[in-house]
Amino acid sequence: MRWIRTLSARTEEGPQTLGAKAHGLVTLHRLGLPVPAGFVVTVEACREFMRAGRLPGGLDQELTIAMAGLEAATGRRFGGTRTPLTVSVRSGARVSMPGMMNTVLNLGLTPEAATALAAETGDPEFAANARLRFLTSFASAIMPDAPAGSGAAAGRPSLDAVPTTSGSAGGRPSLDRAAELVRRRGGRTVPDDAAGQLGPAIETVFSSWDSPRARTYRDLHGIPHDLGTAVIVQAMVYGNRDDHSGTGVAFSRDPNTGENVPFGDVMFGHQGEDVVSGRSAPRPLHELAGGEPAVWSALAEALNRVEGHYRDACYVEFTFESGELWLLQARPARLAGGAAVRVATDLADERLITRREALLRVSPHHLRHVRTPRIAVSARADILARGLGACPGVAAGQVATTTEAAVRMAADGPVVLVRPETSPYDMRGLAAAAGIVTARGGPASHAAVVARAMGKPAVVGVTGLVVDAASLTADGRTVTEGTPVTIDGTSGEVALGSPAVSTGTADAHLRRLLAWADDVSGDHSERDESDRLSAAHAALRH
Amino acid sequence: MTLPRPHRTGMPVLHALRCAGHAGLARVSAVTGLDESEAESELIDLAVAGLVTHLADGFDVWGLTEAGRVADAEWIAGELEAGGARPAVAAAYERFLVLNPELLDLCTAWQLRRIDGVMVVNDHDDPAYDTRVLGRFADFDRRAALVCAELAAALPRFGRYRTRLAEALDRAHSGELEYVANHVASSYHIVWAQLHEDLLATLGIPR
Repeated sequence: MRWIRTLSARTEEGPQTLGAKAHGLVTLHRLGLPVPAGFVVTVEACREFMRAGRLPGGLDQELTIAMAGLEAATGRRFGGTRTPLTVSVRSGARVSMPGMMNTVLNLGLTPEAATALAAETGDPEFAANARLRFLTSFASAIMPDAPAGSGAAAGRPSLDAVPTTSGSAGGRPSLDRAAELVRRRGGRTVPDDAAGQLGPAIETVFSSWDSPRARTYRDLHGIPHDLGTAVIVQAMVYGNRDDHSGTGVAFSRDPNTGENVPFGDVMFGHQGEDVVSGRSAPRPLHELAGGEPAVWSALAEALNRVEGHYRDACYVEFTFESGELWLLQARPARLAGGAAVRVATDLADERLITRREALLRVSPHHLRHVRTPRIAVSARADILARGLGACPGVAAGQVATTTEAAVRMAADGPVVLVRPETSPYDMRGLAAAAGIVTARGGPASHAAVVARAMGKPAVVGVTGLVVDAASLTADGRTVTEGTPVTIDGTSGEVALGSPAVSTGTADAHLRRLLAWADDVSGDHSERDESDRLSAAHAALRH
Repeated sequence: MTLPRPHRTGMPVLHALRCAGHAGLARVSAVTGLDESEAESELIDLAVAGLVTHLADGFDVWGLTEAGRVADAEWIAGELEAGGARPAVAAAYERFLVLNPELLDLCTAWQLRRIDGVMVVNDHDDPAYDTRVLGRFADFDRRAALVCAELAAALPRFGRYRTRLAEALDRAHSGELEYVANHVASSYHIVWAQLHEDLLATLGIPR
């Protein structure tokens, strides 16, 4: 086939043709790890689409053949009235452009297929939810000129207003409403035959490569505009299928410290997009060990194998359906700061890489971050909640939940302002506070931008955090205004009380790495840390 | 209960506090385009009417009272419906929402940059990088201007945002870097956030 490649251990081409995500899936196949059956529409097809303004000739026939292959591999029928096959349609360029492009989930769930899925699973609500998820992701994707914003800041109020659970009435009103939105936004109806949905979905992913926001992102990051994206079509696995299903992300080593323990988030009974959208609060990954021991051990083994392949800490996205683990993405973890130092030295000690490689894996820029204050690991802090670090540094103070309270309380000592999100209304509170926490928003939200402008530690996107008039609730615990908390703007941790703070979490590892650096450069004189590392890099690259 | 009705020039000042949050004279002046003494005179009238209050908590700023918030909501709702402007403003708001994540991406790129795979604070010692980001701001601004023009055509008071965004970008281009994403100046990000708040307030959309 010209435009399509099946994803398997035998797929030969590299990320230039397949895109990085699909290439990662091929790697997982080669490692013998479980990956949902699928195929990839190549980057060349995207380039042809950009050149001609329409999908390349012959792709239609290839899609028919590829879908037949997928049906054979899964034993299911695309758009079938019995055991229907549903697929995800995702972007995957050679370089990562997180959140910039469109994704369509549960494609193939026509009304008839949804009925069939309900009959097969005996769970009409699950089927209705799956159909609704298809309609909303399809609507988001075909919105004219709409980039696929991932953060809460992207804001699609009309679509967000569509409830994601169908409720007791069987979900008809919200299903109809979502279909109506697709009509209104896209000026077209949702095709009622599964095959007719696939072409438009692929087209919309290709189109999203050229959204203004994606163009700006590429200009900022020096990514060529003519690169194009591949499209991955894969059999769906449902993290919301039943009580033994869920989804999550995992690092093979703790990205905050570099410690050699798996780290990540898991959500029981949810589909992957729920993690991104912040609709529900994820749980710490280690809870998988107690909840689904078989999935946990399969995941731990997978992380080992992937790490061995990349010879580096790795990151994977996974779903488990009825107790069965599936991997949806894998790549090197690209850790920063003290974690990068620790992983490089540990990997050298484990003889997975040489000391020379370890030195080259740590950039002098990492060393700046090594000295950023952090909540000390040894403090065994009582973590109340966890979000995304948006401005590095540690701030300790009393909780204030309104700007007025922050200003009032700041007269008596440092304050941590905790808000659902921030608006211009909160500027005084942001100015008065020592640190900032918001429940919503990502690293590019209003709060994050302002916090960095002010140089204040900030944690954003704390899913599950509820801010009330004079208290906040997270993970079932309620904390009243005035309670002392400490936040870490690197790791995104919000801890109760005032745990010890460290400015050299990776000291022992850093000393070892720098000693190797001096051995390589032959210069053992007293110098700045980054000079020692740079001298070693110069010698190694000579 | 009949609410005190401030006279016509008072309304923009009241609404400035609604969209910009608590503000001192300099900011009220920047938001409304009135000079500081005019703005202060309006603020005093509004305070007498119980709609705004001066906070002497060390910030020297003015803010809305609950009555002021109610009066502002009534005024802008009346203005929106009387002119039949709702459909146009709602449509422009949808286009604003498409632009919003891109603007926040740009502000982030102005503050942080990736070097050797590491996110570091942009210390503005690389003019080539700053020029690249400002170039993208200029491109963004051309598209933002279209949305601002639609808004101003529907409700003339929105025209002020176009002026202020253009001013911020001009100053940034001429070397006043704090006019991009800082919190003190009428930076591009600050004006944009006020426009966002104004659209939510005007359309009656809760945060």
